[in-house]
Amino acid sequence: MTATLLDIVTSAAILYAVAAGLLIVFGVMKIINFAHGGFLTIGGYSALAVTKLGWNPWWSLAFATGIGFVCGMIIERLVVKPLYARPLDAILATWGLGIIIGQVITLGFGREVQFVQSPMSGAVDLAGASYSSYRLALVLAAAVVGIGIAALLQRTRLGLVTRAVIMNEDLARGLGIHSGLVRFFTFSLGAALASLAGALITPLSSVDPNMGVPWLVNAFMLVLVSGVSFLSLLVATVVFGGAQVLVSTFVSPVLGGLTIVVLAAVLLRIRPQGFSRE
Amino acid sequence: MLRRVRLCLSAIALALATPAAFAADPVKIGIPVGLSGANSVVAPSVVQSAELAAEEINAKGGILGRPIVLEVADDGSGAAGAQKAFDALLFQKKVDVLISMETSAARNAGLPIVTRGKKPYIYTSLYEGRSCNKYLYCNAPVPEQMVAPIVDHFMKKFGAKTFFLVGSDYAFGRGMLKFTREYIEKHGGKVVGDEYAPMDATDWTAIISKMRSAAPDAIVMSTAGGAPNVTLTKQYKAAGLKAHIGNLSVDEGTAKSMGADAEGTFITASYLTTLDSPKAKEFMAAMQKKFGGNLKTPNDLSVPEYDAIYLYKAAVEKAGSFDTDAVVKALAEVSFDGPRGKVSMNKQRHAPLNMYLGQVQKDGSVKVIETFDNVDPGDQCPKL
Repeated sequence: MTATLLDIVTSAAILYAVAAGLLIVFGVMKIINFAHGGFLTIGGYSALAVTKLGWNPWWSLAFATGIGFVCGMIIERLVVKPLYARPLDAILATWGLGIIIGQVITLGFGREVQFVQSPMSGAVDLAGASYSSYRLALVLAAAVVGIGIAALLQRTRLGLVTRAVIMNEDLARGLGIHSGLVRFFTFSLGAALASLAGALITPLSSVDPNMGVPWLVNAFMLVLVSGVSFLSLLVATVVFGGAQVLVSTFVSPVLGGLTIVVLAAVLLRIRPQGFSRE
Repeated sequence: MLRRVRLCLSAIALALATPAAFAADPVKIGIPVGLSGANSVVAPSVVQSAELAAEEINAKGGILGRPIVLEVADDGSGAAGAQKAFDALLFQKKVDVLISMETSAARNAGLPIVTRGKKPYIYTSLYEGRSCNKYLYCNAPVPEQMVAPIVDHFMKKFGAKTFFLVGSDYAFGRGMLKFTREYIEKHGGKVVGDEYAPMDATDWTAIISKMRSAAPDAIVMSTAGGAPNVTLTKQYKAAGLKAHIGNLSVDEGTAKSMGADAEGTFITASYLTTLDSPKAKEFMAAMQKKFGGNLKTPNDLSVPEYDAIYLYKAAVEKAGSFDTDAVVKALAEVSFDGPRGKVSMNKQRHAPLNMYLGQVQKDGSVKVIETFDNVDPGDQCPKL
């Protein structure tokens, strides 16, 4: 029982960390960044690079965030910026970009599945059950990401202008806010968050050039039902992540893999605004 | 002018003719193998084994005077990739034979194409058994040879009564664990859990939770070879569970790449790097000489590839031709004395093998616990 509960909490935390970057980009730019899976893969391979260089595995988190941010900056300028007025084309372009990222990684690192050193191993005893300490650390990491984003949006000048752009971009521009700069920063931040998520999830699994795709699908569904609110994203990850764990545990892991996608489709059919309040 | 053209033409003709005068057409060996996907962890070691066999045979004049050329194709460790790989190898590259280690999903997808292409196919991976086709031979272990040593050891040495089975959701995982379940129940044990995850799954959370609540004495794993083995074992160790682990699909190379996580895992294999027969040592020395620092640990999924190329050579020489029907018939009659001892696929297309029960040590090496000589593969293809 305790274990199932912990599974739900940790799975929700992982999903939250993965979807947060996609949500912030969607909130500001109104485009779904389909290269999100590619940035996640970049994060996984950043962690692999840290392992190969023989650094302390904790460095992979900072390293992946930095690499993700820089890649995000470059790609925003070269690919995404010219497409702001054409959201549908932007979806195509970012999807293609995801494929290109996968191929470039294949050229650089090979196409085989590889493994990353884990920053912590072993289990801790918690309420009578021993549980993976790394999965528990992931909850902490997701909480830091969540609180960090909230603090950035609510407590800083940058957050204020970002919220202004989210609410009404034309009005914000009329008030002298440089919305292009906000978009530039947001996209880079979204890429950095995706890359960080990639580095966080790899130690317990593996990296390969297509590792981002299944995560992208789940994150996309979660963002669709969350609107642009981080609070509803939290609700969505707990509900859907919980359902995924329960189906995997009590029915079959094969069906568990489909849970989020199916539930999201059903929810949107019944309640088009999903978990958001509007 | 005319003279110069004529000179030129004759030079070209000479250049074209010369190699043909020295070397016959090469014999092409097709190797469809999982360079991407689950098997990508072991596939490079399989290719290295094939390269050594080809080099050794070519140095001694090839097969009936024809040098070996290897055609490697990525099957993506699955059915869709295998269809493309088999198609390309048989009909575009026009290979003479297919010799390879693959997932059961890839093998099953490739077999109808082999039937159409009418070429011999030697499958060199341990597998769930009972795959029968006119053109197919297998020189690697089947459940009859692999399951008993692990289960017997757990029951007799550790007094294990309850078992939890976990595998990948395809022919190999299901077939291997069905046999295991029957064997356990026949010998008075109890199966308290039987769970499968998709072949490319990386998240084993739900299954590990079930293991925790089932609290078995021992766990038998049978995932696709390579990546799923590593993720399952890592997450199992991270969860802090303490049951004995037997693994029916992990090879020594993959075990090594897991580091300390694999420590204590029991495996059965027909080849281990610690074997000290003269042939095994000779093979290891040749591999080290050829690949040096790039050597991938030879293992029970890669060494049968080496054996199989020699078995093909022996069959062609016995048949006296490359004719498919003659070679297929001869494959059952020849034998090869290699790193795993004398191997002959004379038992319903399968091979009696020397098997070893091993335990993975902290440094990734495998310690031999028990040796079983000449284990019979049982009834595999009684109708062929």
